[in-house]
Amino acid sequence: MKKLALILAMALSTSAYAGELVDVDKGMQGRMNHEMLYADDCEACHTGDAKKFVDDSSCIACHGEINEIELDTEKLVMPEANPHKSVHYNQGASCLACHAEHQTKKPVCSECHRTWFDEM
Amino acid sequence: MSNRRSFLKLSAGLAAGGLAAGLSSTANASECVADIKWHEEVDLLVIGSGFAGQSVAVNANREGLGKVLVLEKMQVIGGNSAINGGWFAVPKNPVQLAQGINDDSPAELVKDQMIAARGMGNEQMLTKIANEALNAYNMCLDAGVKFKKDFNIQVGGHNKARAVRVEHGTGGDIVTKLYEAGVREGVDYRLQYKVEDFIMNGNEIEGVVVRRGYRFPDESTGELINIRANKGVVLATGGFTRNMELRAAVDPSLDPSLDCTNHLGATGEATLTAMAHGALPVHMNMIQTGHWGSPDEGGFGWSNALLSIGWHKGIAVNPTTGTRIMDERADRLTCSTAIMACRHKDGSPAYPLVFFNKNDHLGDARVTRAVRDEMAWEMDSLEQMADKFNVPLAQLKATVKQWNDYVAKSEDPDFNRKMDTAVKLKAPFVVSRVWPKVHYCMGGLKTDIDGRVVNARTMKPIKSLYAAGEVIGGVHGHARLSSCACLEGLAMGFILPKSIKADA
Ligand SMILES: Cc1cc2nc3c(=O)[nH]c(=O)nc-3n(C[C@H](O)[C@H](O)[C@H](O)COP(=O)(O)OP(=O)(O)OC[C@H]3O[C@@H](n4cnc5c(N)ncnc54)[C@H](O)[C@@H]3O)c2cc1C
Repeated sequence: MKKLALILAMALSTSAYAGELVDVDKGMQGRMNHEMLYADDCEACHTGDAKKFVDDSSCIACHGEINEIELDTEKLVMPEANPHKSVHYNQGASCLACHAEHQTKKPVCSECHRTWFDEM
Repeated sequence: MSNRRSFLKLSAGLAAGGLAAGLSSTANASECVADIKWHEEVDLLVIGSGFAGQSVAVNANREGLGKVLVLEKMQVIGGNSAINGGWFAVPKNPVQLAQGINDDSPAELVKDQMIAARGMGNEQMLTKIANEALNAYNMCLDAGVKFKKDFNIQVGGHNKARAVRVEHGTGGDIVTKLYEAGVREGVDYRLQYKVEDFIMNGNEIEGVVVRRGYRFPDESTGELINIRANKGVVLATGGFTRNMELRAAVDPSLDPSLDCTNHLGATGEATLTAMAHGALPVHMNMIQTGHWGSPDEGGFGWSNALLSIGWHKGIAVNPTTGTRIMDERADRLTCSTAIMACRHKDGSPAYPLVFFNKNDHLGDARVTRAVRDEMAWEMDSLEQMADKFNVPLAQLKATVKQWNDYVAKSEDPDFNRKMDTAVKLKAPFVVSRVWPKVHYCMGGLKTDIDGRVVNARTMKPIKSLYAAGEVIGGVHGHARLSSCACLEGLAMGFILPKSIKADA
């Protein structure tokens, strides 16, 4: 399975980036780089009813497991603040804890700490 | 395209693992157990993936109790344990012994806990837990947990230095390693599986109703399935500090100005479900506030770590008077009470200032990150501090001068503080503000000393229902001591599997 190396979009100086939210379908927003998934239908990520079930398997199928996804560590404010190798959860975090497909989401660490991740 | 297909195949495979039949039919308690469609069957079901859940799961698996499944409702593992401060009380730990402290023992720890419990603790159970401390510590070492080198200190309310701390100062160091060990050894973990109800057969639990695919906090997400547990169900679901209604119902005195340190999922619905099925709750109104919260950050944040310097090396001052307010090293209840007494005339919080010498801690990460995140400030002088925080300067100066005299004499006539770590104060300072945050539920479900949940009508165990960790009540009485929840959760993992085996 081919994995995409993700560069965490923290600096955000560019106007368009892979994970940017765009209108995809009837007012529904989605990630620009997931257009091909929308071409199928919701079932590409949701097995069955969207409300009922979605988990990480669709993310992992393309991007790989959390610890395998490379971040640009030079952009991290400190080494411990690597969200894909966090001291609190490490591999025990769902993608959905920090990322959402149809809207921006606050990363889970922001429940306690100031974070430097603006777009998730 | 092939990526998408492989994913779809994968999820279809998952569904076939037990979900194929009758997804819509879920059980409720009144239904006859014989009619229930079980979507999945395991030997031991553990609800919650914090210290208690992980330790029980790993140890039950090692004890050969069969297929162990851990359900976690959140999108991350670990609950409070993952964000915890990583202080762990271990009498007779190797660092302590190397420090020459040879007169500690589990019984010594229990003595401290019973004092803090103010007559409401469970000595037998505390003893049983303390006796497993070294086992719990060694389990962590074996799983690859790294502890701070040569680090063992005396934390609030303890009469001896016996708390070790993990490398990164967070229980996440333990949770992540136990999780990896569990996965390696065959424990099955599922995120976003929220237990909604129990399936009972009279006084025995047979399984649970689970909301699979739950997305906290949206209760309409996910789908209901029934999971059967042949040997037992373990509640390791933690406390309920984030359930504002329940919190207010059991302790109306909890000041509404208090924030909370706990993870957002500490909402206690499993406790209430157990009660609905006959479990006896105890001490529900005993809810601990941590006296080291910072009003300048969310949740637990950095404050507690920063104040592990502050309480030892610095002092706490009421900004409206400029005087000290307490024995900075006393237990939580004592300190919280003293802090919350600091008010402006209109009753609003006057956040006490805790400060210590900046130059004694240059480059200390606890300081650097606190200052970086603007929940602490470096102040060049008492003048600057008085100005920024609106403290009466003359009194502030007098307080510091008097404190320095106390340090010289190694004696604190005002609050009788233990002075072995006290330091003379000299500018520049690191200053932070404190206000308690709701932190820990001493109360919860009553269990026997082996972790069996007690039925309120009969005072006998509910068959096959076990509980461990913060979800249980009556252990610590009025005040749990710092570093003892870590111990409790991890230690119960050695106790519960034995009970489950004995009952099988
Ligand atoms: C910020 C903070 C710092 C702390 N620092 C320390 C310290 O340094 N030393 C110390 O000894 N103690 C400390 N404590 C206390 C200690 O961490 C907790 O008491 C302990 O982690 C509780 O462990 P637990 O396994 O019982 O519960 P938790 O770790 O909270 O785990 C319970 C899990 O159950 C899950 N759950 C709940 N209901 C359901 C349901 N219906 N279905 C499925 N899953 C469910 C939750 O989501 C959660 O993940 C701290 C606590 C906090 C909040």
